[in-house]
Amino acid sequence: MEGIDSAVYQALLTRKYLTRKIMPMLAMVAVMLSVATILVTWSVMGGFLATLIQSGRTLVGDVAIVWPNVGFGYYDELIEDLEADPMIEAATPTIETFGMIRLPDDRIELISIKGVDPESYSRVTGFADTLWWKPIDEPTPKDHEREDLRLQADDLKTEGGIDLEQVLENGLAMSRLNPSSGEVEPAGVLGIEVTGLNERTAWGGYYPWGANRALPDGGIAYDHVFMPETGSVVLTVLSLDSDGRPVDPKSITMPIANEFQSGLYEVDQGTIMIPLEVLQRNLRMDEARKVRFEKDTDDPFATVYDPATGTVRPKMKEVVGIDPARVTTVLVKKAEGVELETMRERVREIYAQFASRHEGQVPIAANMSRQIKTWEDLNRTMISAVKKETGLVLFIFGIVSFTTVFLVLAIFWSMASEKTKDIGILRALGASTPGIAWLWIRYGAVIGIVGSSIGTVLGYWIVSNINAIHDWIGKTFKLVIWDPRQYYFIEIPSDVDPQKAIIVFVVGVMTCVLGALLPAWHSARMDPVKALRFE
Amino acid sequence: MGSATSTQHCESAATGGSSSILSVRDVRKTYKLGRVKVPVLHGVDLDVQRSEWVTILGASGSGKSTLLHLMGGLDRPDKREGQRGSIMFEGNDLARQGKRALDRYRADDIGFVFQFYHLLPELSVLQNVCVGSMILHGRLGYMSKRSATQQRATELLERFGLGHRLKHRPAELSGGERQRVAIARALINEPKVLLADEPTGNLDMKTGASILDAMIEYRENAGLTMVMVTHDERIAARADRVIRLVDGRVVEASSGDSQPVS
Ligand SMILES: Nc1ncnc2c1ncn2[C@@H]1O[C@H](COP(=O)(O)OP(=O)(O)OP(=O)(O)O)[C@@H](O)[C@H]1O
Ligand SMILES: [Mg+2]
Repeated sequence: MEGIDSAVYQALLTRKYLTRKIMPMLAMVAVMLSVATILVTWSVMGGFLATLIQSGRTLVGDVAIVWPNVGFGYYDELIEDLEADPMIEAATPTIETFGMIRLPDDRIELISIKGVDPESYSRVTGFADTLWWKPIDEPTPKDHEREDLRLQADDLKTEGGIDLEQVLENGLAMSRLNPSSGEVEPAGVLGIEVTGLNERTAWGGYYPWGANRALPDGGIAYDHVFMPETGSVVLTVLSLDSDGRPVDPKSITMPIANEFQSGLYEVDQGTIMIPLEVLQRNLRMDEARKVRFEKDTDDPFATVYDPATGTVRPKMKEVVGIDPARVTTVLVKKAEGVELETMRERVREIYAQFASRHEGQVPIAANMSRQIKTWEDLNRTMISAVKKETGLVLFIFGIVSFTTVFLVLAIFWSMASEKTKDIGILRALGASTPGIAWLWIRYGAVIGIVGSSIGTVLGYWIVSNINAIHDWIGKTFKLVIWDPRQYYFIEIPSDVDPQKAIIVFVVGVMTCVLGALLPAWHSARMDPVKALRFE
Repeated sequence: MGSATSTQHCESAATGGSSSILSVRDVRKTYKLGRVKVPVLHGVDLDVQRSEWVTILGASGSGKSTLLHLMGGLDRPDKREGQRGSIMFEGNDLARQGKRALDRYRADDIGFVFQFYHLLPELSVLQNVCVGSMILHGRLGYMSKRSATQQRATELLERFGLGHRLKHRPAELSGGERQRVAIARALINEPKVLLADEPTGNLDMKTGASILDAMIEYRENAGLTMVMVTHDERIAARADRVIRLVDGRVVEASSGDSQPVS
């Protein structure tokens, strides 16, 4: 009995037990199904979370230098410094603030306002791609009937007078022609979900809701509420003094140039982007002559008569200077292949040099250091929520696997009991206790490997074809599980992470071995004489 | 039997039980069914000489199978006041051996034929016979002996008239054929002792007789020691020695045919 645990009879009986019984088939199917289910769920879930995180990145760039409220000046110089560095591809100034928005239907809502410079903003972020209204050639994945208005840009132009090409250009330039004055005015780009006028369609696109309105007489009225054409909103912001304190509310009427969809619902339903200069001017963050009163140091005892109050007060000197334009944020995009963390460090260094040149004029480097963040830092709450969700999913998987362990255990237990007599015979012929245990563990491992392999392949296949399968289910059973009207993604993610596949496979095999362990132990410990008497 | 074995037999007879291949002393066995104790063996003494054929007779339920299981290392005798009866095989007490040693004893030294065939239903006749060798030799050992083992198994089965049924499954065989497969399996590792529990008990007389003839022939050629349980006085009459088990004791030891088989 050399090689205590490995013997030919185990391999032989494993093979025979596998091919002659329905039970191992059942166990295998159980393992296969749970492995496939787990892989599909995990992949799809993981795909959604990854998409979510990516969407959160779209309008942020890679690294942001943020000094909220008051902002900081001389940013042009900082951007020049940044863009001179080989690690950095581009940088753009923005202002982030909050305000009120009055929508075409007179609703008033709180909104996040971003002042951006469209040209450089496009270079740093995916802004250009998020613009929704533009002519397209290929329908979006679920738009099988080609219902998307954007596919018929030419018809729209001739019949409805809407030139999507022009709308796209407007969005990119953030401006719109005012037909009455004939002037090109600064215009905003609105999140696509803000107005509520864009109806989300079953295929995951948008239909400008107001464009067609049913009339009581059965006709259809064409309402001009296509925002990028004629729509405008009124923004109310609080301007700040140079110390960052709100001074007085300002209202800005903003024509809408285009609408954007970032993929993050919270952003798309609560954000408007307007040209940077407009926001700077209204927040009083633009370049301005600054007037300050100081004690007259030539003659500290001089007084002056104030005609307004009729009193005498110390004489003050009027100091006139130039206050530079300010922004709250500079977004930076890294060059290809540069590590995010490395690049953040580089940005910090560049800022430190910049700050030393402008001592007393911009926030000191030590304070700003904490305000230079990667997009991951900025989306920390969302990312950690996403990670928590992943943890929850994994926990549920754990329970599912645990159920499978018991299932396999039950099946193996009944198989081992059924084979009690065989075990007695083998023991009588000299098979050792570990030898018998190994027989069952090996058996479990084979079932696990076969079941998990098929399950992994099945899971891979399902995930890869999940959208086709979903469409087919929808067509055949009229059952739409994934409705783009309710969810914010058009398609179900269909990528399998090989690492996940390997983990699921290994867990599947381990599940079977674990399930086989108890029956193996029980079977091996059995008194051979009793086993032989087993009927 | 050759002269060498005869000499051996005479020798062992001369020196008493000390040179016997199996020697059972004061062995007791009580089964416990919950709280009820079922005493079966009350101190059995028995010596089996090398190459001897001993037959055990006894009423049903008298403990014959139990005694055979104890001698085959499948079970252990009771402890009584800290003392265990002993079962000596070639001078080693089975009752004091570890699990591993007992496993090896069963695989290597003993061949066991059960009262109810006990074949593995999933394996073919040939595989059933070879399984003992697979157990004994482990993976590598068996691989190198594989063809020799199969050769020997085929020979054994041919000798028992089953050469044409090697690929069949036990379920496709008659009772007598199954018992012959079981005997071939017991002999595959060339054991020193064959323990057979009513090998012909479930068979008609003619079949039983032919199986017995085959066993006797093999025993003569191989010099095998054989302990056989039977109900059949006629079979017992052919053995070297007959012992009777009554109420868990060996009450009478008689020679069936005072001459050793020759
Ligand atoms: N595992 C057990 N538990 C309880 N009682 C048992 C057990 N095994 C055997 N017995 C009892 O021990 C007694 C002897 O059994 P054993 O099988 O040794 O008899 P036997 O002489 O071989 O009978 P038979 O000729 O019918 O085969 C019987 O009364 C039986 O009921
Ligand atoms: Mg019996």
